[in-house]
Amino acid sequence: MRKVILKGLLARKLRLALTAVSISLGVAFVTGTFVLGDTMTATFDQLYEGLTEGTDVTVRGESAFTDTTTLGATKPFDADVLPTVQDVDGVAAAAGSVTGYALILDKDGEPVQPGGAPTLGASYTTDPALAGGFTLRDGAAPTGPQDVVLDAATAKAHGFVPGDPVTILLTDGPRDFTVTGIAGFGDADNLAGATIATFDLATAQDALGRTGVYDTIAVRGESGVDADELRDRVAAALPDGLEAVTSAEVVAESSAAVADALGFFTTGLLGFAAISLLVGALIIWNTFSILVAQRTRELALLRAVGASRRQVRFSVVAEAFVIGLVSAALGLGLGLGVAAGLRAALAVVGIEVPTTTLQVEPRTIAAALLVGVVVTVLAALLPARQATRVAPVAALRAVDAPARPVGRTRIAAGALLTVLGAAGLAAAMVEEGRLGLAAVAMLLTLAGVLTLAPPIATVVTRLIGAPLARLGGTTAQLARRNALRSPRRTANTATALMIGLALVSTVTVVASSMKASVADVIADSSRADFILKGAGQASPGLPPQLAAELRGVDGVGTVSEMRFASAQVDGATTFVSAVDPATAETAADLEVTSGSVADLGSGSVLVSDKVAQAKGWTVGDTVPITYAQTGEQSLTVVGTYANTALLGSDYVTDLAVHDANGGTALDVAVLVVAADGADLDDVRAGLETVVDAYPVAQLDDEASFTESQAQTIDQLLAIVTMLLALAVIIALLGIVNTLALSVFERTRELGLLRAVGMTRRQVRAVVRWEAVIVAVLGALLGAVLGLAFGAALTRGLAGEGLSVLAIPGGRLALYVLFAALAGVLAAIGPARRAARVDVLHAVAAA
Amino acid sequence: MSAPSTTTALGASIEDPTAAASTVDAVKSYGSGEAEVRALNGVTVAFDRGRFTAIMGPSGSGKSTLLHCLAGLDTLTSGDVRLGGRSLTGLGEKQLTLLRRDRMGFVFQAFNLLPTLTAAENIQLPLDLAGRPVDREWFETVVRAVGLQDRLDHTPAQLSGGQQQRVAAARALVTRPEIVFADEPTGALDSRSGADLLAFLRRAVDEFGQTIVMVTHDPVAASHADRVVFLADGRIVDELAAPTTETVLDAMKRLGS
Repeated sequence: MRKVILKGLLARKLRLALTAVSISLGVAFVTGTFVLGDTMTATFDQLYEGLTEGTDVTVRGESAFTDTTTLGATKPFDADVLPTVQDVDGVAAAAGSVTGYALILDKDGEPVQPGGAPTLGASYTTDPALAGGFTLRDGAAPTGPQDVVLDAATAKAHGFVPGDPVTILLTDGPRDFTVTGIAGFGDADNLAGATIATFDLATAQDALGRTGVYDTIAVRGESGVDADELRDRVAAALPDGLEAVTSAEVVAESSAAVADALGFFTTGLLGFAAISLLVGALIIWNTFSILVAQRTRELALLRAVGASRRQVRFSVVAEAFVIGLVSAALGLGLGLGVAAGLRAALAVVGIEVPTTTLQVEPRTIAAALLVGVVVTVLAALLPARQATRVAPVAALRAVDAPARPVGRTRIAAGALLTVLGAAGLAAAMVEEGRLGLAAVAMLLTLAGVLTLAPPIATVVTRLIGAPLARLGGTTAQLARRNALRSPRRTANTATALMIGLALVSTVTVVASSMKASVADVIADSSRADFILKGAGQASPGLPPQLAAELRGVDGVGTVSEMRFASAQVDGATTFVSAVDPATAETAADLEVTSGSVADLGSGSVLVSDKVAQAKGWTVGDTVPITYAQTGEQSLTVVGTYANTALLGSDYVTDLAVHDANGGTALDVAVLVVAADGADLDDVRAGLETVVDAYPVAQLDDEASFTESQAQTIDQLLAIVTMLLALAVIIALLGIVNTLALSVFERTRELGLLRAVGMTRRQVRAVVRWEAVIVAVLGALLGAVLGLAFGAALTRGLAGEGLSVLAIPGGRLALYVLFAALAGVLAAIGPARRAARVDVLHAVAAA
Repeated sequence: MSAPSTTTALGASIEDPTAAASTVDAVKSYGSGEAEVRALNGVTVAFDRGRFTAIMGPSGSGKSTLLHCLAGLDTLTSGDVRLGGRSLTGLGEKQLTLLRRDRMGFVFQAFNLLPTLTAAENIQLPLDLAGRPVDREWFETVVRAVGLQDRLDHTPAQLSGGQQQRVAAARALVTRPEIVFADEPTGALDSRSGADLLAFLRRAVDEFGQTIVMVTHDPVAASHADRVVFLADGRIVDELAAPTTETVLDAMKRLGS
């Protein structure tokens, strides 16, 4: 039996390769995701260990939770704590430090803004033992208010050497310094991509807004003092609100935070990988079904000469096993490339992953092999069962069995699922906010359409085949008949493409709705003439000094800034916006439904209608909001508002509450309203002179702001589409595979056609038309499903700011057109093969 | 190339302007050197217009090879094949295909029809491929002649073997070809269906003036022809005019096959 299997495999090398590729691409995606995730984790772990080297215990403010908007910053504490800590028995050395926002400007005045990583300002640790991996590579330590030490990566990239002047943007505006030294972190030039400017302690405290306070105190114990023991001793001496943690704890915490963030990221990527694998599995299933059908006579002969059902089944499953193994091995290799590709793709949108050697863990190899083999074998199980049903007498039958019809039970079940799903989708489209219903309805519809695929394929193929047959004449007609002769095969091939296209279309509908909604929100609720935001995706915000300077520009009526913090309400993380109550309503319409924005002050909050209704809060109620640095705050509701889309949060406080609770000291947006009668061009010119000193800020009017938001959404759409493209490519490979198998099976027919006068060109056209029909079938079904899915999702997300449903009809039509063109490409190989059929051989074999 | 002026082994002149198809010194060999096998070893033969000719011979005599070369499905190693006055030698693959489509008809032993097309569509296939309009009157004449009026909407799977071969025969005639090639057309049929098909081919010659060349190993089938050409070892070895089953059998015995 083993010989039969191996010979069978070797006789069909090309088919084996095509089949293997459909799975190996999915495996590559899984591998790539794991490799990238592991590499990132390893990089960060290394960094944190290097950073805390030499420090045994860290003193810091207590946090309720880790706030990602402030990079987990803790509440600064009074510098007086330092002597107390130094006096603790067993402490050899202790030094306070501060960290904050500092954006280095390069020699052209452009911001050195790494994608995704923070731009840090910090105090220079003079005790080398407490500095961790941070070491001076060139020049001298900072000693005066003009001195700064830059990280080696920034210095290298922008040509800074000791003695150079440098401008650094701080929260209180730009300040000029002189570079006194360049520092590295162990072997690395920077910390996980972050830029770091270090000042002497007093300068840092002043520049970073930390006068008289520290963010942390690093403690080193005398030799022989255990870190845990030292922590307990230090902790006992600390005032309330401060804690002491060992370096091991800090590293563990940081690693956990990174793993958390990466977990979200890798789960998302694995989702895309799963889609690719699903599509791959469909292809494998289809391929094996066709192979079993084509080998009916061979299998029957095996049975006739004494092979048992088990042996026949084994022969099919074993073939799948080998293909799975080969695919997995291929995928593993490709996965390294995918990891590099994903890293490059992330860099494009500003998420830079530090470069280290790619980490290939044993778990990755095991997962790749397992996924490749299990998916392939599972997909081959049904065809294998079909193979065991081949009766030995089939070997003697001259005529091939006709295509199995689709069972009534299957049609009934498929119809039921489809109807239920469609009804659910319709309901989700009618009523806003039914996201759960939309999700369930999507799954039901997809399952229903997959179950019903063969009859649907028959009907739709007739429909799209008819105009094509008129367009393409006899060859298109023959192609249409060919597509119709085995509805299962056509359906399976097309549904693989359908899944990919449905997802791409869904995302496209949601994205264009997002764009339309953003434009709508800006048009409806912004009263600002100009909007300033951080330039680029990665910018954390604008120094507040900018808003202060804008107020002085001639013709400016109102300047209103907005900030953003994360907080917890009832244990769930949420966002809290902060505005200036005096100016907010001049610049934007929050659509206040009760109370008023002007009532905002210390100890009060505005709550969105949605949340107020859900929690039963009204004006006058007290709401518990937990901030990371300050813990639970009881805030009184002074108003409710409907427009959550503008701010993107369900809670609004005034700026003072935000600052007091440790919110980021950067403005996420600054709205500018011109004074009555002021010439907008003049105002813009005035604003630009201020903004020139803040290259991190982007000045927009309403139209250009909407446009730049749309660009951001398009960028995200492009990435998601790229991730889904793999599934589409696999589906196209499926078309190649099915066509190749069909051509092989129709050798005699092709020979006959050639004998009675079909030209090679016509033969190629027949194959090409069939590919186009299958591709358009899949794309059309996918676009229709995606349209419905996207519409249901958009309506479901109406409460999250997706107020407008926009149907990108032209774009969806373009997808179908692309699919048709891709069909033509997919047909090239099989068509060439079909045209090469040896007429004499084909007719003589009769 | 000079006009054919040689004579057959039997002395009959083949320099005949009425010949629908002819070969001159046709040689087809496979392999080379000592392994060379000559399927055709100098065949010169002409097939008259409006006549039904059977080619007979034992297995391996080269009769199918001769038919394939006449039909442009295979090429000669040397010698010439002519269709009407035109030499097929040197024609490109595409030209041969168009010749087959427009000027020849085919009936094979089996698998003559496309399973996806109805009987009517199968009959019209060569016309559709050429983009030529269907001559309704002629189409109906042919269909009536093969007795398929009631079966036009049937797919091949719904037709018996005999009916399928008659559909194939109708397809071969529908383009009004200069010549119809039939390769063991009754080989896979029972004697009754075979007789029906042969009767139809006979009528096509008698009533429509069709030229037919048929390869067969069945003396009964050959007896329907006007003339039988016998091949052995790639050469023409005998010829019979107005054959009957008996005379064919006698000739075969003489040839020791």
